[in-house]
Amino acid sequence: MKPGNSIRRDATPGLRQSMSSLHTWVALLLGWVLYAMFLTGTVSYFREEISQWMRPELAPQVHAPDLALAAQRVADELKTMVPDSPQWSLMLPDARSNSVYAFWRTKRGPGGRFEDGRFDPATGKAIDARDTLGGDFFYRFHFQFYYLPIVWGRLLAGLAAMFMLVAIISGIITHKKIFIDFFTFRWGKGQRSWLDAHNALSVFGLPFHLMITYTGLVTLMALYMPWGQQLAIHTPTERQQLRAELSAFLQPDKATGQAHALASIEDMVRQAQARWGSGNIATVTVTNPNDAASRVSISRGEEGRVSMSPQYLLFEGSSGKLLETHDHVGPAAETRGVLYALHLGRFSDTATRWLYFLVSLAGTAMVGTGLVLWTVKRRQKLPDPDRPYFGLRLVEKLNIASIAGLSIAMAAFLWGNRLLPVGLPDRASSEIQVFFVVWATALVHAMLRPSKAAWVEQLWTATALLALLPVLNALTTSRPLWHSLANGDWVFAGMDLTCWALAALHAVLAVRTARHTRRVRPAVAKSESRRAAADPAPGEA
Amino acid sequence: MIHALSLLLCLAGFAALACATQRQQDELFDRSLPRRTTIWLRAAGAGFLLLALAALLAWRGWGLGLVMYSGYTSLAAGLVFCALLVHKRRRARPHRQGCS
Repeated sequence: MKPGNSIRRDATPGLRQSMSSLHTWVALLLGWVLYAMFLTGTVSYFREEISQWMRPELAPQVHAPDLALAAQRVADELKTMVPDSPQWSLMLPDARSNSVYAFWRTKRGPGGRFEDGRFDPATGKAIDARDTLGGDFFYRFHFQFYYLPIVWGRLLAGLAAMFMLVAIISGIITHKKIFIDFFTFRWGKGQRSWLDAHNALSVFGLPFHLMITYTGLVTLMALYMPWGQQLAIHTPTERQQLRAELSAFLQPDKATGQAHALASIEDMVRQAQARWGSGNIATVTVTNPNDAASRVSISRGEEGRVSMSPQYLLFEGSSGKLLETHDHVGPAAETRGVLYALHLGRFSDTATRWLYFLVSLAGTAMVGTGLVLWTVKRRQKLPDPDRPYFGLRLVEKLNIASIAGLSIAMAAFLWGNRLLPVGLPDRASSEIQVFFVVWATALVHAMLRPSKAAWVEQLWTATALLALLPVLNALTTSRPLWHSLANGDWVFAGMDLTCWALAALHAVLAVRTARHTRRVRPAVAKSESRRAAADPAPGEA
Repeated sequence: MIHALSLLLCLAGFAALACATQRQQDELFDRSLPRRTTIWLRAAGAGFLLLALAALLAWRGWGLGLVMYSGYTSLAAGLVFCALLVHKRRRARPHRQGCS
């Protein structure tokens, strides 16, 4: 498209121009939040692998454990560890996870709270590994942030996702030559090049970007739009029916007070395995474990089905008798289940998981290039590009800290995992503090340094932290790259090699930023600025 | 195997579709290709993409098949885009050196 071809001469802005403005401002307003959500969400596709890497004491999983035996072992352990608990749940290991995650209510009644832990599937004992949140930190940050009340964090995430949806739709309307310009990239043309890159990153992954944004809203729709549910669901029975459509998680019924030992969990899991396959069991939930009224639900994993809808068997805990089989939900619940599953991608095999990761990374870059484009476009039009006004300077500084600074903070979180003393009290929180302190430092650095220098320095810092992470891993654990490659330890090898790939990406960005020189002369900029102010070209947002 | 085949089909599909666009023809061949060739390239591109879709649907069904197809089309379009970019940069280099 030749600039100026579609310039409108009338005073009222056309649809495209309106959409362009909407796209620009909606995307900018929460762009930094969206960038952080996108990047932490992207790495969360490898949440289990990151968690394994952050607990190097746990041996790599060579063969998937026998789930029935693992469940029985951890159940036995919990019986002695938390005998008064009215409810506990086990998330069984799979090909990507080498521990059993369990959480339990400490006691019945208002004083009861939830605690959790990880257990060795081979022994049933609590695992002896460093205290860390692992990949769960990025996963939780992705939709509820940190240091914020959970509900407020999730509401902010929902608002950002809604802004993203508006930005995507307005962006599609603004970009009128999607097919003609599909492969177009004009090198070295400043704003035009940034726009081409932003378009390419947006258009190639467009089905994914639309899907991930919409399904992100669906995952928390009951929080964002609770009114339909409030009107339709009144009685405890209705609430129970709703819960059964959404989750295999059981709420404890009233206990009888009559003690009764729990029947064999192993046998119950075996029945579920016979139905869904030996490795395809997700959770075991037990309510009132030592009471005659105990119930056990065992749910199907997500392998091979694009749906998170609960499918589970309900057993009488005292006898092990199968009471109910839930193998389907209603059409509305199934729609939610499919959309939910599409967002999380837990059904993926390794190749599909990498596809999710790469296209999501393109989505992150889409947000990043959009943020940078906002500043490039405006700086180019300044009478003196070296003296930007306050708003432009602020956006630039926030861009640096939220793009380059986030890479540094995320890498620093992994460095913290290796360097903080293993016996440090409240160690998991300390790792997270490292992340936020480093991120805040990046913001201060961006504020204090000239923009170009700040970009280059932070990109090089991220490069160094990522490139040296495999070295640090080799020095601080017994699983260096040569060892993990030789032994087929793909979690560790994959982390090390991915860090180097990301380090290379940051290095390229650092070199290109350092080499960049602005080509626009103030005189040209002045005339362009006047022309743009009089009649801004559409589609250049 | 099907993973690799799907990626290759999508790459071939997008490469053909790229060659069918005016801008890429100008940049790759320094001229417009005959209209007939362009139509054939478009048809071949669409055909390769449909073949990839058919392979994935036959292998993993509608749910997983469509998810994988979405991933492979995005990845392949990105790879073709990068390949075109590298090609253009290589062609431009002697010219730029000559000018400087």
